[in-house]
Formats: sequence, C-alpha cells, structure tokens
Amino acid sequence: MSTTLSYTLVITGAPWASQAPQSALAVARELIQANHRIDRVFLYGEGIHLASALSTPPSDERNWPREWSEFLAEHSIPAVACVASALRRGLVNDAEQARYELPASNLRAPFEIAGLGEWVEGTMKSDRVLYFHGSI
Amino acid sequence: MTSTPVQTPTLHILNKAPEHSRFAACLGALSPGDVLVLSENAVLALPARRNELPEGTLAVSADLSARGLEEAFAAQSIDYAELVRLTEQHPRIISW
Amino acid sequence: MSTLIVVDQAPYGSWAGREALDMTLSLAAFDQPAALLFIGAGVNWLRQQQAPEGIGQKSLEKNLSAAPIFGVETIMASASDCQRYGLTDANTLAGVVTVDDTKAAMAGYEQVAFAG
Repeated sequence: MSTTLSYTLVITGAPWASQAPQSALAVARELIQANHRIDRVFLYGEGIHLASALSTPPSDERNWPREWSEFLAEHSIPAVACVASALRRGLVNDAEQARYELPASNLRAPFEIAGLGEWVEGTMKSDRVLYFHGSI
Repeated sequence: MTSTPVQTPTLHILNKAPEHSRFAACLGALSPGDVLVLSENAVLALPARRNELPEGTLAVSADLSARGLEEAFAAQSIDYAELVRLTEQHPRIISW
Repeated sequence: MSTLIVVDQAPYGSWAGREALDMTLSLAAFDQPAALLFIGAGVNWLRQQQAPEGIGQKSLEKNLSAAPIFGVETIMASASDCQRYGLTDANTLAGVVTVDDTKAAMAGYEQVAFAG
C-alpha cells in the first residue's frame, strides 16, 4: 500500500496547440485511481484556453475542455485559470465581464479565475507539483 | 537566504522533440540516479537519438503507440499508472 | 521550499519570459525563496538598452532590475549562453550572476520550473 500524496497540476499548453491538456488528464485520472488527492489544477499562460466554454471541436473529435470540466466536477477538484493570463487572452467570467464592460463571458464551469497566489499555495502545500507544457 | 544543494534523485519528464533546445538542456541536467521519462514529441528521440539517451530512459506508452513506436521500443515503455508511481517515488520532479 | 524559475525563451517573441518573471515575483511576494535562471536564447532578456516600444511591448529591464528589491534572491545566467549571444559585463543588466555549471545551479533548488 502506498501513501496518499497531494498534487497540484499546472497546465501551460493550450488544447489544439499542444498535447498538454490530454497528457495532464491522463495523469490526473491515474492519480485519482491511485487514491492520490489533486489539490488544484492551475491553468497558466496558453493553458487558460482549456477553460473556454466556447471551444466547439467537430462532433467526432474529443472535446478536451468539456472532458476536463466533467472530470473536475466529478471529483470536486478546484481548478483555476490565472487571471492575468486569462484576461489577456480573452477568457473572462461574469465578474470580469461586468468590471470591464465586455460583451460576453466564456469561462467554463467549474473553472474559476484567480491570481498566481493559488499556484504559490500549490508549491507550498502540495506534495508534488506537475507541469504540463506545450511542446513547441 | 542561500539555497542548499539538493542531492535527491530527480524525475525528469521531457516532452520536447529532439530538435528543441530544451531537449538538449534536459539531457545536460541529468545526474546519476535521475530518471528520464520521454513523453509526447520527446519519444521521437528513441529512434533518432538512442545513443545520447541515458541507460534506463523510459517513454510513455500512449505516446509511443500514437507514433507507431510501441512495438520497437516496448522495453522502454511505461503506462500512465507507472508514471504516477514514479512521481510518488520522486519528490523532486522537473517538467521540461 | 526554494524554487528556481528557468527562462529559455527569447524575449518579445512570446509572453513566456514575462510570465516566468510574474511567477518568480509571486513566490517572492509570499516570502517563498525564489530565483531566476536564464539559459539558451532566454539570456537575451538580460541585455541593456532594450527599447521595445517600436514593437508595442514594454521592456522588462526595469522589472528585472527591481526583482531583488521584491525579494527575488538571485538572477543567474548561463555563462556559455551569454558568450554565445555576445553578452558581456559591459552590456548585461547589473546584478546578474553568470554560472558556468547550470546543472549545479539547478541542483541548489528544491523545485525547478518553467513558465511554459
């Protein structure tokens, strides 16, 4: 029997521009399978595109944002897109939409928008921090 | 505050193709006792740069299979469950 | 928990270097030991007299120079990569420590991470 460890997963590679979200999801599923705890998923840089509610791949292709959000909801895992990364790249929640008087919001539940402090907390409190970068 | 040297074996997870500058940087950072796992584009190093890889280099099975390399490099192949076990065993992990 | 953020991407061609600096400053803001290591094309962040106004970007020169004030312990750069890109004491930002052995530099930190 192995002990339960806590993990923070950081995704910096975007869906359709990298394999990062797929690799991260495969690892995340195995972590749950192995009875580990995922403290948080943190999206940074290009990785924030994973939290877009508007991604609509053809119906015969996998929808990584949807699969991720279903996985997060099923296992009650907090997931955060970095606010600075997100706003620059056009990912906003209702609060940011109102604050900047934007025509729409597009953050997919259960993702939330927060600062880098969430990542810092992961580096301090989780037993392991795994990064999933783009490969270009 | 100064940092103290960390001598613990490190798990290196490398996803860059052999031509990427970070690929060489990763190989240059390996110490004896470290474990190197190739994932995504990096598995292409098995056919291309076999001689430069340290003994015991591992590669993610799904990434090998996707690229038609699983049969040729089955001896190096690990699944995601084994990758998770490696993360359990190594407190220090660098994702290149 | 000491953390080293490594920057290997060239300046201005992407946001990765800025986002690496943001990560480092965030660690420092939470009183976490943090340092930066520039390698490969990333060393070009450390050149003096960057004037990116013409390409519509902001220079990071001031931010990097101020990093120690905000608690970033060390800014290191690969000596061989500095040499490759023509960076010398005369044209490199003040306070940068060049290191001959980047592997040994990385070994000094419990966590080593890239921004992207």
